Amino acid sequence: MCMEDLLAHKEEVNRLMARYGVKFGIYKNGTFKERLFPFDPIPRVIPADDYAELEKGLVQRVTALNLFLKDIYSDKKIIKDGVVPEEFVYRSPGYLAQCEGILPSKGVYSHISGIDLVLGKDGIWYILEDNLRIPSGASYPLIARNLCRRCSPATFRQNKVVDNRNYGQLLRETMDYVNTGGINVIFTPGRYNAAYFEHSFLAEQIGAVLAEPDDLFVSNDKLYYRGNHGTIQVGAIYRRISDEYLDPLCFEPTSLIGVPNIMEVYRAGNVGLMNAPGNGVADDKGIYYFVPKMIKYYLDEEPILKNAPTFLPFYEEDMKYTLEHMERLVIKDVAEAGGYGVIFGRDLTREQLQDLKETVKREPRRFISQEVIDFQDLEIVEGNTTVMRKADLRAFVLAGETVRVWPSGLTRFSRRPDSFVVNSSQGGGFKDTWILSH
Amino acid sequence: MQKLKFLFLTKLDFSSMIGEHHFVLRCVPQVLPEQQVADLDMKVMPGFSSGMFSLDSFGNQLYAGSLLAPHRFFYYRVNGEIIRDDRERRQEAAAPCMRYPTKLTSPSEEMQGYARELWQQELSGLSGNGYGIASRLSDIIHKSFTYAPGSTSVHTTAEEAFQQRCGVCQDYVHVFLALARLYGIPARYVSGLPCGDGATHAWAEVWHEGLWYGLDPTRGCLADEGYIKLNVGRDFNDCPIERGVFRGQADQLQTTYMKVDIL
Repeated sequence: MCMEDLLAHKEEVNRLMARYGVKFGIYKNGTFKERLFPFDPIPRVIPADDYAELEKGLVQRVTALNLFLKDIYSDKKIIKDGVVPEEFVYRSPGYLAQCEGILPSKGVYSHISGIDLVLGKDGIWYILEDNLRIPSGASYPLIARNLCRRCSPATFRQNKVVDNRNYGQLLRETMDYVNTGGINVIFTPGRYNAAYFEHSFLAEQIGAVLAEPDDLFVSNDKLYYRGNHGTIQVGAIYRRISDEYLDPLCFEPTSLIGVPNIMEVYRAGNVGLMNAPGNGVADDKGIYYFVPKMIKYYLDEEPILKNAPTFLPFYEEDMKYTLEHMERLVIKDVAEAGGYGVIFGRDLTREQLQDLKETVKREPRRFISQEVIDFQDLEIVEGNTTVMRKADLRAFVLAGETVRVWPSGLTRFSRRPDSFVVNSSQGGGFKDTWILSH
Repeated sequence: MQKLKFLFLTKLDFSSMIGEHHFVLRCVPQVLPEQQVADLDMKVMPGFSSGMFSLDSFGNQLYAGSLLAPHRFFYYRVNGEIIRDDRERRQEAAAPCMRYPTKLTSPSEEMQGYARELWQQELSGLSGNGYGIASRLSDIIHKSFTYAPGSTSVHTTAEEAFQQRCGVCQDYVHVFLALARLYGIPARYVSGLPCGDGATHAWAEVWHEGLWYGLDPTRGCLADEGYIKLNVGRDFNDCPIERGVFRGQADQLQTTYMKVDIL
């Protein structure tokens, strides 16, 4: 790879990103702080053949997840056929009974899916988790690539990297596809949201209106935007606000950032709402176990991409395995998210292990256990040298008329050498992800 | 069979002008084989309000409306005639979500212990008879709870109400639902208008062999043909009769009245 020139521009790219306001916000001790998202210039490189396989696998997975969501909120065949136990649906905090019977525009539920993967030392990609509730992060590699091109055009002449500048176009086509008549809107809770930068950036990329809560209102089952030149009907809304705050008259009554009665517009089929509320039922840690089964059930295909080997203490056999091998497994609490409730058996004392075993026995449905995947570290620049760090990849999959993978992605790495946590709010950084064209 | 005449109205008075008022009303009786709506009139004021009817995910008639211009009061009224006939009920499947706890009906460990004890002492003999268990449970709650307006709020959970053994109809029903579901009985929250006059009421329905049966744990009786059903849901949060948000700094004073007469 010829990228010495690019590496020499690390500081410059980071400085430019700071200047353009590429930040994310975090709440700490009750105050809002914005942080730069440190960029590492060494890209993750995915060869064309590997990518072709990844792409097929991601399309297959997201297709099945969309079919699952449609099934759960209508006929529930997969439950009736005994493939997914109903407990994993109706006890999931992501299942929203208020969405029962609603068919979204064109039947698409997860328009933008962020699928997190890791590359094992065995050279196999493993799915870590699916994010079907407005996953964020696409803007970072997009803008980083642009700046890298500008700083070091030679790098992109010498390396055959697939152009990733089509994200805006993919997103726009996705929105247009589900648009029921009216303008496209990106709905942000506002300036003090962790991903506000991304909201405004994407709006610019796709030529959509960036709207805040006060800009939108519902009248007679239609959604309107209050513009400078009068009100305009909204046909598709990419809402960057979570389900519970979306509509105070349907979900959390105290929400001040939602749009009252937007759910009625959605129910009436008068707006494309991205992503569909209630998607959380398909992306929690418990249901993850069943995704390969969904692929077989709905598509009659073998899963192309592997889950991390996962056990469900809900099943007797898996309970036995989990208890017998707990010291080398990772135990995850299904109800927790964002890196919480993840326990590595190897870090526990004998006493703690025993306690955890008792808890799992008492509440089998609350936990999954997984083999620890030994994943490949990536090189990052530190001072004048490079060090190896844990990293994952968030692939973005867009579902419109067809399901398409954005030929790029967000590679996040952890700052600390001992850490497996690559979450951006934990101080990690990110890399560009290169898909090679041949 | 019974013919009922009903009237239900609510008025909200605001201490100052408000605007951008959006609301949902679930104040219209459900249309069911056992509950035919012979006559219905509904009025929403101020007159510039607008809205649309739909069926929500639980099958309730939902009126979603707005009052964008400034106003100082909000009023709605429904009245009409209902023909109630429980012999007309149709077989139906119970939505599986009616067997699972919600935030408001989540059973605490104390309640789980209570349910086990109750099972051993009184209910095990009724094993397999979901309706029998449920009606006994309704009686037990009626007897062991004290009706105490003001002791709870709309946010009170079954767990909290159970701890203090008192509350209003909503709390009785939430405790009932939490316990009934522990026994695997599909059970749902109902709000509506019982015979008489005063305030709206809440009761429960349990599903048994294809039919829903009304039970009123607050009064310790069956919710029979004297009850007009407005809404059903997993708990109160799924089916409030009225919910609204508006812009403006104002206190609100609510006046509500309902009356159901047997014709």
